[in-house]
Amino acid sequence: MKYIDILERKLGRKATKAEIEAFTVMWSEHCGYSHTKGYIRQLPRVGFGGNAGIVPLDDYHFIAFKVESHNHPSAVEPFNGAATGVGGIIRDILAMGARPTAVLDSLHMDKITEGIIDGISDYGNSIGVPTVGGELRISNYYKYNPLVNVMAVGIGKNEHLIPSMAKRAGQVIVIFGGATGRDGIHGASFASEDLTGEKATKLSIQVGDPFAEKMLIEAFLEMVEEGLVEGAQDLGAGGVLSATSELVAKADLGAVVHLERIALREPDMNPVEILISESQERMAVVTSPEKADRVIEIARKHLLFADIAAEVTKTGQYVAKYNGKTVIDVPAKLLEESPEESIYDYTPSKMPKFSWIKFKDIDAHEVFERYDYMVGTDTVVKPGYGPAVMRVKGSCGYSLVIHSRADLGFQDPYWAAYITLLESVRKTLAVGARPLAITDGINYADPDVEPEGLAAQMMGLKNACEFSNVPVASGNASLYNTYKGKGIPPTLVIGMIGKLEDLNVPRPKKGPVYALGFKDFELEREKILWNEIERIAKSGHFVVSMHDFSTMSTLKSELQNVGLEMKLKIPKCEPAHQLVVVFGDVETKLPKELIGYVR
Amino acid sequence: MTRSFPKAQVVVYPGSNCDRDALWALKYVGFDAEFIGIHDHIDADLVILPGGFSYGDYLRVGAVAAREPIASEIKDFVNRGGLVIGICNGFQILIEMRLLSGALLQNSTGKFICKVVELEVSDITTPFTNYFIKGERILLPIAHGFGRYVKTDELKTNVVFRYTEDVNGSDEFIAGVSNNDKNVIGLMPHPERSIERLICSDDGLRVFLSAFNYIKLKKTQEDQKANAKVGV
Amino acid sequence: MPKYQFVIDIQYKSNVRDPRGEMIKRVLNDEYRIPASNLRLGKSIHLEIDAESMEEALKLVDKACEKLLVNTVTETYEVRKI
Repeated sequence: MKYIDILERKLGRKATKAEIEAFTVMWSEHCGYSHTKGYIRQLPRVGFGGNAGIVPLDDYHFIAFKVESHNHPSAVEPFNGAATGVGGIIRDILAMGARPTAVLDSLHMDKITEGIIDGISDYGNSIGVPTVGGELRISNYYKYNPLVNVMAVGIGKNEHLIPSMAKRAGQVIVIFGGATGRDGIHGASFASEDLTGEKATKLSIQVGDPFAEKMLIEAFLEMVEEGLVEGAQDLGAGGVLSATSELVAKADLGAVVHLERIALREPDMNPVEILISESQERMAVVTSPEKADRVIEIARKHLLFADIAAEVTKTGQYVAKYNGKTVIDVPAKLLEESPEESIYDYTPSKMPKFSWIKFKDIDAHEVFERYDYMVGTDTVVKPGYGPAVMRVKGSCGYSLVIHSRADLGFQDPYWAAYITLLESVRKTLAVGARPLAITDGINYADPDVEPEGLAAQMMGLKNACEFSNVPVASGNASLYNTYKGKGIPPTLVIGMIGKLEDLNVPRPKKGPVYALGFKDFELEREKILWNEIERIAKSGHFVVSMHDFSTMSTLKSELQNVGLEMKLKIPKCEPAHQLVVVFGDVETKLPKELIGYVR
Repeated sequence: MTRSFPKAQVVVYPGSNCDRDALWALKYVGFDAEFIGIHDHIDADLVILPGGFSYGDYLRVGAVAAREPIASEIKDFVNRGGLVIGICNGFQILIEMRLLSGALLQNSTGKFICKVVELEVSDITTPFTNYFIKGERILLPIAHGFGRYVKTDELKTNVVFRYTEDVNGSDEFIAGVSNNDKNVIGLMPHPERSIERLICSDDGLRVFLSAFNYIKLKKTQEDQKANAKVGV
Repeated sequence: MPKYQFVIDIQYKSNVRDPRGEMIKRVLNDEYRIPASNLRLGKSIHLEIDAESMEEALKLVDKACEKLLVNTVTETYEVRKI
């Protein structure tokens, strides 16, 4: 174990074998964010700290959203890796008391990996959450380390917002969902390592069960509706251990967990395996003892296993027992206090002259038409036009976009992060929305080998958020995306949500098409560009903001589907530019050039 | 048992995921609508078996759901002349229940397909299509992996909707069929997803309007008959 | 060239979860009162191979399994001659 010395110093004694196993999971990079905690603390934040980020949408609803990576599992087993990636992030949204309403995915791979697409399609379609958008980046850099980042979004009523912690001693924790098996044991520590050799082939595979997930969603929302849920946490990396300890540690409370009460699929599991198993499709609900029976009844009605797994105590100690025998007994807080690696200062330099590193131009229809993007009947703008636009029935709309610039990340992680955020703002404004907040997905190679790159990326994100006045509501970090020591380009994925008052989103129409703005980039001009995009979009003109206008196959074929033909000659521009494409003639003070037409 | 207002029930199977969309559509056109579970009783003029993945469709699409307790309720309801619409997974369940003939197999592409397709309305004499014009072309979304319709019984196959081009490899481009009595219809496209211009198209709206007014008219006629009998 | 016929039986490895099989077993147990257990849902592939000899045919079947038909991370397979 990496931090054994720190652990034993804090415990003031030798650690037991069970403790070492538990802390290996909890203090892994995947659970503990040792390398990124310090950077995350510096970001301007909003609605942070729960299972997912929270932002008010209107007077009655909040929006919960978060991006999460499932890179390592998808590299080993694309189908199940991608599928369980969708399942995991959906439960984060659910745990806030929100009904999951949309999924977007950011995929970086060397070719369209059928297994990954099938995994997302099979799982997402089955649970009835539409996959409304995403980005598809094809490049050889991701041959051994594909990146699967999934962003999920949900809408909840304000009175249903669920805290991600216990409130007082005497409460109980019910764990419900699918049965627990050995799947995914040590998954968290696996996701924090290089993908070479024995570790990668060692079976840590989780198999998704979308039917159980769908039942879990409905059961949990019924519990919320009946006012039974006083706190909740999904079971992800670190399983029962992580979920139950987080729930109590945040509130300075303790817990006694009874591991024999966890429904098992493999009856011969030992107590520590039960404690750290990462079996999918499980949730932990904090409730009062008198409500627990009803919680269990609802879960069972939905064909799920459920039992009171733990009591909340005031001792501050996290005690796990198996048939009365103590397995571990440690301060709950200690499990959460993973050691922090020192962070690096980064002083930004002038933006370099970037060279083009092109991603393949593909028509994304072949991918997104395998996802149900309409279930729920709230998808106002379907995939293919840029950002997705969704509505809340009887209220306003919200825009969703997921975006990254790994091509720049290679050349300057600071400016890559910065520009990714600015471009996300442009995209959001282009559908007539106002940016509300972001979720960030850090995908990085080895932070021990190249710590400066990570520092630069995080500083770029921070400064861009401050420049744009757009806070961060949630995030995820996936480090050690390396194969035989060789890493991926720094790939910061940004998921941005925006709010729309008017759902009459501009659509492409017949007529001339113009390129507006500048072929290069100067930060001082950015807000002028934003004002123009906002004004033009609100005047009913369709605006496209893309980082590379030579990859417009998707839009072209989408227009063909609705009987329009688009002919454009895109002006050459820098990889970091301030150009947008506008459909129809508009008055503007920005440089404007006729580049083609739609007919 | 008489009710003056058209009432619809949506059967929620474990794993259904278009149940809420169906309810929204029913209420949108004015039905008194509610959900029922697989152990409940039918008390309605129209029953919808919604889309989704009942029991995950883990064994065979619709297979487990078709054998639930609600199945005998549905069969009795159909024998009494009640109206039933099966959409997508609901269509697959009706086929597994043998209330409609044919089989639904994996799309010829081998993949799930989600898009808006053009359909031709082939039969406007059913209670679900009388608001259409014969041969009218409409747009409805599809979202399925197992929608390839294969004919098994010529005599019992009454085609109601056809795709206007090959979408999933279905025999004769068949997208929706009814039984011979025309009170049971099953279709792979989703009319409940296309009731508003803002979302997709509003061509699906008329499926529900047709059923609504068919039921209303029948009720009026029944009332008149009853009134005539008592000589009011 | 002679033709050889095979059946390939593909199953999840015993330590990999099979949620589909679990659900079907549960329905059999609970709703049909059939005491089924150890139910695993796999795939079976029937195929014919043109080859000079049985030995060569078997080699090609193995290649087909390893390269495409079987996900060797999660699945095992058995080849039977028919």
